[in-house]
Amino acid sequence: MIGVGRAGPGGPAPERGGELLPWPGPSTEARAVQPADPEADRPYWIALGSVPGIGPATFGRLVARHGSARAAWRAGPAALAELPWVAVEAAAAWRRARRESAPAIASAIESATVQAGGRVVTSLDAEYPASLEQCDPRPPVLHVAGDLDCLDAPCVAIVGTRRASGYGRACASEIADELARAGVTVVSGLALGIDGQAHAAAIEAGGRSAAVMPSPLGAIYPPRHARLAAKLQETGGALVSELPTGRIIGKPDFARRNRLIAALVSAVVVVEAPDRSGALLTAAAAIQLGRDLYAVPGPIDAASSRGCNRLIADHDAAIVTSAAALLQQVGVRARRRDDGVVGNLSEAEGLVLAALLDRSGSIEELIGRVGLPTGALAGALTLLEARELATSYGGATFHATLAARHLADR
Amino acid sequence: MGLRMLARTVSASLLGVEGLPVRVEVDVAFGLPSMTIVGLAGSAVQEARERVRSALRNSGFELPARRITVNLAPADLPKEGTGYDLAIAIGILSASGQLPSVSLTLDDVALLGELALDGGLQTVAGAMALVAAARDAQIAAAIVPLANGAEAASVAGIVVFAARSLGDVVAHLSGVRQLEASVRTPLPATPSAVDAPDLSEVIGQHLARRALEIAIAGRHSLALSGPPGIGKTLILRAAAGLLPALDDVEAIEVSRIYSVAGLTDRRAPLIRQRPFRAPHHTVSTQALVGGGPRVRPGEASLAHRGVLFLDETLHFRADALDALRQPLESGQVTIARVDGVLTMPARFMLFAAFNPCPCGWLGTVARTCVCEPSSARRYAGRLSGPLRDRLDLLVLMEEPAHIEGGQDGAEPSAVVAGRIAAAWQRQVERQGGANAELSPAQIGPTFGFEPPLVSLLAQRGRRFGLSPRRLHRAARLARTIADLERRDLVTELDLDESLRYRPEAIV
Repeated sequence: MIGVGRAGPGGPAPERGGELLPWPGPSTEARAVQPADPEADRPYWIALGSVPGIGPATFGRLVARHGSARAAWRAGPAALAELPWVAVEAAAAWRRARRESAPAIASAIESATVQAGGRVVTSLDAEYPASLEQCDPRPPVLHVAGDLDCLDAPCVAIVGTRRASGYGRACASEIADELARAGVTVVSGLALGIDGQAHAAAIEAGGRSAAVMPSPLGAIYPPRHARLAAKLQETGGALVSELPTGRIIGKPDFARRNRLIAALVSAVVVVEAPDRSGALLTAAAAIQLGRDLYAVPGPIDAASSRGCNRLIADHDAAIVTSAAALLQQVGVRARRRDDGVVGNLSEAEGLVLAALLDRSGSIEELIGRVGLPTGALAGALTLLEARELATSYGGATFHATLAARHLADR
Repeated sequence: MGLRMLARTVSASLLGVEGLPVRVEVDVAFGLPSMTIVGLAGSAVQEARERVRSALRNSGFELPARRITVNLAPADLPKEGTGYDLAIAIGILSASGQLPSVSLTLDDVALLGELALDGGLQTVAGAMALVAAARDAQIAAAIVPLANGAEAASVAGIVVFAARSLGDVVAHLSGVRQLEASVRTPLPATPSAVDAPDLSEVIGQHLARRALEIAIAGRHSLALSGPPGIGKTLILRAAAGLLPALDDVEAIEVSRIYSVAGLTDRRAPLIRQRPFRAPHHTVSTQALVGGGPRVRPGEASLAHRGVLFLDETLHFRADALDALRQPLESGQVTIARVDGVLTMPARFMLFAAFNPCPCGWLGTVARTCVCEPSSARRYAGRLSGPLRDRLDLLVLMEEPAHIEGGQDGAEPSAVVAGRIAAAWQRQVERQGGANAELSPAQIGPTFGFEPPLVSLLAQRGRRFGLSPRRLHRAARLARTIADLERRDLVTELDLDESLRYRPEAIV
């Protein structure tokens, strides 16, 4: 009765290829259940929600079945037997957890989260993000650092591969920049590559960005993004995790993170994704949750964009032709840019910028197109970089920035 | 037989690439026949007993059946090698009265050479440094093996005699048959031709060619990163054909190091050709920077005043790469040993070539990288931060836009070498040394940095988040670019170009 094909409020999910993980079946009953005494049930909510192997779906069914988390906790692991799709380890884990009382477990979890600089937000709390309210199943417990208000604004997810090309990075920055300037909160997964680029560009543009982490709050993954995570919080953004502090993360946690990203936003943009990219899980979740899905196309011979191109070809995602067009599709109005004074470009700079606006390219390739001596071309690129009109994202290929495009439009 | 009992001769020992005079004292006393060598003599020196015994007998002399003690002074300096054989043999002959009339005082002639069993003289390593040490100790003459004659004679201020055998030396010392003084070797006027690829063979890669030209012109260190087969190695190997000749002082410095390493060409002992060393990536730390029980110059010292090219840099042992930090900073290698610290010159241009990730295609358009981001990261991390900090130029190479039959007029090495030589001349005239050796205090008007440019430098530093060290390196690079463009003042164009090569741009 609980099948893969049935989806959330967005209507029937389209037929999908076998490689995409199905969203766990809905537990329609769970949404309605509100324990009689939420205040008293909260510690049990936290304790039961933290048992490894009991995910949002199982949690929802248990609570629906027993009326409250407290009653479910009392019923114990035996209650799992009658539920479909429960991880085998769940019963054993729950049995181990029950050696301690639920309130003791809950207060230990809460203090650990506070120690890590965050707080626990359950679906019983007023702070719980509204976008998740209609979501089914919804995570019973969130560990949050920063300001959750940013999730009340329009939210758009920008996701993609960790092995981002210069093209992917350029697109991610450009889209994140435009969205952030328009007041949209950019949500992503704090991963290397596209995710990190999107977060960073949103902050850079003066906007807010929220990161849904695959790891607990205290252990930023990847560690290299610890500074980025701190910056997100400082600029009015938030970090969100489903896992309690100290939990060792595994592969399923990444898939779970991707679903939560889709749940938190109204639209998902897949910037660059090869076949079997984790970003495609986010895309599948978006479809099943009824979120709008967009994909940035890539060259047909680029393995790094094959996933995106297929989303478009299969009519699962709408095509993104420019950041401005995306803004219109998402339904927000672009904010006028305060471009400031760029100053006069030298002749060499003008030539190089015109070539870059025409098409991104490496110095080697630009030499053929621009017709400047190598040294002059290299110098002009540094100057354009200093003026934030061109960037290479640390690679050999240079791209005109969004600011350069606006300059060209004027 | 009238016994003189005690005799003293002079030889010399190597300490790194420097020579040090060694006094050889021989005492022939009554007692059970024996020969003892003292003075921290290593095993090769101990074996001198057997060589000296045979050589004496086969040259028509006799080893006195007495108790013979040989002391090598200073006695606290460890001695290695076979170069003391001649001094020991002459000492024994003198102490046992077999050198009838000595025309020269034995204190005034340095005796260098290994003895063959038939009494012939064999070559020694580092003859130039050894003879120079004798000269510095105010010794008037040196006798060296015939094969070392040419290189030893290049040392000014001392008379050098080259001898074929022990018999020749005895004949010379006793005035029976004078050896002819070796003629001072002239420095070759031009470098010998090198077997390097020509730049006209390189397809495209304008930025890498430009970076190579700048690096050589100002003696800066250069790294090329890019996918396999793109021409990194070819371009850097072409450097060997672009290097300006060594000047007179440099030529002596370099020749001396090669002499110590035993790499001297006997017919042309003096080197005009700037060294180009390309050790394999399996090289040990000791072989790279020098060391070992008998301290030998490593590749870093053999590359002194030239190029040290590390192909596949990231595959070198981490400790070997790390050991290069000190010479890159100070221009010399310091080796700490139980009995003290010794230094060897090692001022070289570091040329590095590597792939950006294990598969080699990270960040390129042509192909997609298949490495895990974490493994690619770890790979690039093998180039440690401090080492990366000491690189002056980095170029990320891409496949040329179009590979067609034509060479689109690629410049041959000779043209580029001409520009390099001109830029080099400007540096020598201005400051007497390479731009890469300019100190932070020299970044000022005297050297073509007007105040507005210095403030622009600081501004760019803030914009790109560059450390003071990195900015200083960029300034030196800009000076070289200006020299290549024949400009006395460094301009904004030069500075901006120099920043294009900053190694921070690494993926």
